Amino acid sequence: MGAAGRIAVKDLKLRVRDRSAFIIGIIAPLALAYIFYLIFGGALGAQSIDLQFGLVDQDSTEISEALGQILSEVESEGLLVVTEYEDEAAAEAAVDGGDIDAYILLAPGLADASLQGNEYTIEVVGSVDSPTATQIAASIAEQFGSGIGQAQLSVGTAVALLGGPPPADVASWGQEAAERPRAFSLEDISAETRQLDASTYLAAGMAIFFLFFTVQFGVLGLLEEERDGTLARLLAAPIARTSVVTGKALVSIGLGVVSMTILVLATHFLMGATWGAPLGVALLIGAGVLAAVSIIGLIAGMAKTPEGAGNLGAIIAVILGMLGGTFFPVGQAGGFLSSLTFITPHAWFMHGLAEISGGAEWTAALPSVGALLLIGLVFGSVGWILLNRRLAR
Amino acid sequence: MGKVLSAEGLVKRFDDLVAVNGVSFSIEEGETFGLLGPNGAGKTTSISMVAGLLHPDEGAIDVNGTQIRTNSTSGKSAIGLVPQDLAIYPDLTAAENLAFFGRLYGMSGNSLSTRVDEVLEVIGLADRKDDLTKEFSGGMKRRLNIGIGLLHRPQLLILDEPTVGVDPQSRNAILESVEDLSRAGMAVLYTTHYMEEAERLCDRVAIIDEGVIKAEGTRRELVNLVGEKDRIHVSATGDLAEVARIASGLSGVFGASPSEHGVEVLAANASSLLPDLMACFASSGATITGVEVIEPNLEAVFLQLTGKALRD
Repeated sequence: MGAAGRIAVKDLKLRVRDRSAFIIGIIAPLALAYIFYLIFGGALGAQSIDLQFGLVDQDSTEISEALGQILSEVESEGLLVVTEYEDEAAAEAAVDGGDIDAYILLAPGLADASLQGNEYTIEVVGSVDSPTATQIAASIAEQFGSGIGQAQLSVGTAVALLGGPPPADVASWGQEAAERPRAFSLEDISAETRQLDASTYLAAGMAIFFLFFTVQFGVLGLLEEERDGTLARLLAAPIARTSVVTGKALVSIGLGVVSMTILVLATHFLMGATWGAPLGVALLIGAGVLAAVSIIGLIAGMAKTPEGAGNLGAIIAVILGMLGGTFFPVGQAGGFLSSLTFITPHAWFMHGLAEISGGAEWTAALPSVGALLLIGLVFGSVGWILLNRRLAR
Repeated sequence: MGKVLSAEGLVKRFDDLVAVNGVSFSIEEGETFGLLGPNGAGKTTSISMVAGLLHPDEGAIDVNGTQIRTNSTSGKSAIGLVPQDLAIYPDLTAAENLAFFGRLYGMSGNSLSTRVDEVLEVIGLADRKDDLTKEFSGGMKRRLNIGIGLLHRPQLLILDEPTVGVDPQSRNAILESVEDLSRAGMAVLYTTHYMEEAERLCDRVAIIDEGVIKAEGTRRELVNLVGEKDRIHVSATGDLAEVARIASGLSGVFGASPSEHGVEVLAANASSLLPDLMACFASSGATITGVEVIEPNLEAVFLQLTGKALRD
């Protein structure tokens, strides 16, 4: 074993004895992931949409039945389940009982209002526990109403030009509204954009977030040795100076890999997280650890004291973690943020996992692995130079 | 005796500050060489260059015929460093600390474990070898700090103010250890700002201040260099004026004068003069009640050379 290995073994022994790495690297992320899973698991779930809607058609005209047709089409695609109710009370009871998320009420007068160009209100009543589903139901109703309005306008224009109402055409308005391309769409976004399910998302998010704290135990140890006087003794020994930096980096890498591996296994068995192809996960962990070590190494190279480096490291870790979407899916916010998130290793790690967690081949993670290695190379090179320059005075 | 260390014209600058400016000295086998100076004089910077921790801007260091450079491992095995700060790991045991550093010096296996036990005996920690050092007293930590430095049997042991903050008992133990090592043939480079330590341990001393060696030599050479003389105060009764007159004529006496309760004598070497001086008092019929020899010390020399006290 070379000098770097001996230094790494010594540091690992110290970390095992003071248990700090164990707490930061395993206990904290596992506990937080599980707590977040219990609290936000449902809200963050990106699994297939499972909506339960009700429909109360008190108008019972061709126009009102058109909405039923639209909903039936969507239901046939497996994206929601529609139950028709005789009256509003029954639908209300279903919402209260949690049988459905929301219902759409088409009160009598829809067809008349359409013919006469009067105002008409489509009511949507939803469960307070299902705000998202209620929003979707409201959106469907709104788009349906908009379709009716456009059909009404075009036919109304024809009526005005022809000088009298064409009753035969009125019945077709609803059909026309139903046949118009749906202005809304419901899609299984988990398949389309490869989102992680809630447990995997939280497990992966906490794992990569805390990784940036865990790896600090190695590289920042160099500054601690400098502060505590032991660095002088290491540098006086007949070993290459690069061995000291290499030894510290090995500690960071070792702690990072062990911590991530334990978290993958623990969250898989405890929370049901589905990480995906083992080789792909291993590559992502390896590349993610290298990226984290390189960034913390750069911070260590720039800092004057271990305390300063620790504080700066924590700030950087939190900023990158939040921007990288470890706490909430920043990428789904769209716009500038969805691009900005990919400056962080966290986002690439999560993205890579999302690619393979749905059952894809390990090779699907390679673009993310490449991005992580690039980050590691860039930051690691600068950090390596700064740290070795720090020792060569 | 062969020369173990040769430092020639060492210069070290930190930005605009010249911390060490043209320092040269050498140490032979079995010799203890002291760098005596106040805090900030350049002692630690000098030995950091000798130990290969700092790269000198100018000058060269040779240990046993090998040039010492920061970016090279050559020659470093011959050096044992005992830094001023406690360079030990508190969450390792005493034996683990020794073994870790021993391995960095290429030791392994039975020879390492045997040597670890030997050093633990030397520093008096054999019965605490398996205790974590964070449970040690300050003195025990200091002893272990020294033990690590001599574990690999270096030819040159560098001790940077090893007794700072140490209780008197541990301090004495450390000084005795250094004396033993020197007697065993090890070359020792010892920095201190304690005049008593330099006087007790060092065969030769360099007085350093503001990065420059002001003077170098044995204690006696340094004292003579600045013309300091031994002062002898003899408490006595009788014809003290007559005693002083006679004493003034003795060889090696620079002057003698009566005082209220005795005679003050300035001499080149008090210890060699005392028999003649006693005879002088006896021949004059004076009765001696006490003798106090006040030898010039390095602190006085330092004061004269630099214009300031060692602890400034």
